[in-house]
Amino acid sequence: MKRKFNRNLFILLFLIPSCLCLLVFYIYPIAQILITSFYKWDYTNLANPEILPAGERLSNYKYIFTQYPYFWEALKNSLCWALVGIFIQVPLTLVVAIVISKGLKFSRFARNVYIVPSVISSAAMGLIFLQLYNARYGPIQQIINIFKPDFRDSILLVEGVNFWAIVFAYVFFCGTTTIMLLGQIHGIAPELYEAAMIDGAKGWKRELYITIPLVKPTIKTVTTLAGTAGFLIYNEVFFLTNGAAGTKSISFIIRELAITSPRTQYARANTIGVVQIAIGLVLIAIINWVFSHDKYSLRGKRKG
Amino acid sequence: MRGKMRAKKIKETNPMSVKKGEAVFCYCIMLIICLIALFPILWVFISSFKADLLAEPGFSLPSSIHADGYVRVFTKLGIGTYFMNSFICATLGTMISITMLSMAAYVVARFKFPGRGLITAAFMATMFVPPSALTFPIYNLVKRFNLFNTRTGLVFVYACIGIAISFMVIRNYFAIIPTELDEAARIDGCTYWQNFARVILPIARPGIMTAAILNWLQLWNEFYWSSLLIIDRSKMTVPAILSQFTTSFRTDYNGLLSAIVVIIIPPIVIFCLFSKYFIEALSGGAVKG
Repeated sequence: MKRKFNRNLFILLFLIPSCLCLLVFYIYPIAQILITSFYKWDYTNLANPEILPAGERLSNYKYIFTQYPYFWEALKNSLCWALVGIFIQVPLTLVVAIVISKGLKFSRFARNVYIVPSVISSAAMGLIFLQLYNARYGPIQQIINIFKPDFRDSILLVEGVNFWAIVFAYVFFCGTTTIMLLGQIHGIAPELYEAAMIDGAKGWKRELYITIPLVKPTIKTVTTLAGTAGFLIYNEVFFLTNGAAGTKSISFIIRELAITSPRTQYARANTIGVVQIAIGLVLIAIINWVFSHDKYSLRGKRKG
Repeated sequence: MRGKMRAKKIKETNPMSVKKGEAVFCYCIMLIICLIALFPILWVFISSFKADLLAEPGFSLPSSIHADGYVRVFTKLGIGTYFMNSFICATLGTMISITMLSMAAYVVARFKFPGRGLITAAFMATMFVPPSALTFPIYNLVKRFNLFNTRTGLVFVYACIGIAISFMVIRNYFAIIPTELDEAARIDGCTYWQNFARVILPIARPGIMTAAILNWLQLWNEFYWSSLLIIDRSKMTVPAILSQFTTSFRTDYNGLLSAIVVIIIPPIVIFCLFSKYFIEALSGGAVKG
C-alpha cells in the first residue's frame, strides 16, 4: 500500500517540472493568443485589454485579411518558401542521402563537410550571405556582372529576385535532415536489394522501388520539417532584407506588429499567430494526407 | 588470374556494388555539395585577410595577409563577453531542459499511469507550435516576471524551447532498457529514486548526452528570442550580436569578416568533437515518432 503511494508520488513529482513548462510556455500562451484575438489590445491599452463589442468580435481577423497591407505578401512568401522547402529541399536531401549511402571513398568526408553549414547558426549564415550578395564587394555581384555588366544595385532590393536570394541562403544547407534519411537508408536489409536485383531492378530503379518506399516514413518527417521551416522563416529575412522590397514573412510581420513597430498591435499580432498556427497545421495535415495516398506506398495500398 | 576473375564475379553479384557510371555521378554530386557547403565559409575566411575589401572584391585572393581584423575582434569588440553569455545561456538552458525532460521521459517510458498518452501527445504537439506565433505572450510573460533584458529570462525561455525532440530521443532511450533491471533493483530494496538515479540513469547516459548536445547546439545558435529579450549589448549572445555588426563595423569590412569567422568556429569545433553523437542522434531511431 505504501509502495503504491510512493510510486504515484514519484510519478507526480517527476512530471511536475515539465508539465509546468508545458503549461507556462505553451498552453497559456496559446490560450492567450486565441482569446486576445477577439480583443482590442494595442499600444494605447497595454495594461487593460478589452473584449471587442459583440458585433465586431471578428474585427481583428477582418483587419488582417482586408486592411493590413503586408498580410497577403507575407502569406504568399511564407507559403512559397514552404513549397521551396518541400519541392527543392526534400528531393535534394534524398539525392544527397542516396549518393552518400553508396559508401564510396570520401563519402564520410563529404557527409561531414555537408553538415558543417547546418551546425552554424542561421543568423551567421544570413550575415555571410549578406556579404556574398553585397553590391560592392560580393562575389555574387561579380557573377551577375559577367552577364549584366552595368548592374550596380543590390540584388536584395530587386523584387522577385530577392525572394530567390533568400532561398539560396538556406535551401542547400539541409545536412541534419540528410543524416536522418541516411540513417534509415543504412538500416535497410541488404537481402532486400539482393532480391530486387534478381527481379531485375538495377541502378536508379533500385532506389525508386526499394530505397524510397522503405524510407518513406522518414521522407515524410523530412518533408514536414522542411515545409514548416520554410513556412516559419524569420532569420534570413531579417538579416538579408529586413522585410524590404516585398520579402516579409508571416513570422516577420508578427514580430513587427507585436514588438518592433512604434504603434504596437498586440491583439492583431496574436491574431496572425493564430492564423500561422492554423495554416501550419493544415500544411502538416496535407503532407500527411499526400504521403498516405501516393502510389509508392507499400502499406497504403492494402489499407485503401 | 583465377582469383581476380572470381573477385570480379563476386563484385558483379554483390547487390551493394556500384557501377562505374553510377560512381562518376555520385562523385560529381559529392563534389558539388562540398563546394556548396564550403564556398560561403571559405569566401568569408579568405576575404577576412584582405586589407581593403573594396579594392579586392569578390573572388580575388588577398594580395597580402592582413590579420588586423582578428586582433580588433578580441580587443575592440570584446567578443569574449558574448561567447561567455552564449555559453552560459545555452548550457544552463540545456541543463534545465534535459533534467526536466529526463524525469518526465523516464516515468512516461517506464511506468503505466492514467494520462500517460496525453502527456506524450502534449510533448509531441509542441513541435507544431511555431515560436513566432507566441511572440507577444512570451515577451509579455518575461516582462511581467521582471526578467526582460536579463540572461535569466533567456535561460527560462531556452529551457522551454525545442523540448519535443529532446523528449523523443530520451524517451526512446529509456524505453529500450529491459524492465528486468527495475525488478532486480526492487528486490535489492532500491527506492524509486535510487532505481532511477543509480540504475537506469547511468545506462541511459549516452541517450541523454545525445539529446543534450543537439539541444545545446540549437540554443547556441538561437537568434529569435535572444535578439528579442536582450537589449543591453553586454548581455547579448553571439547570434544576437551579429545583428549589431552591420552598424558597429560600418566600413571596417576586415573586422566584420574576421568577427564572422571567429563566431562560426566554435560550433564547427564542437561538431568535430562530438560528430559521433550528433550523427547517431539524427540517424538513429530518434526521429521516429
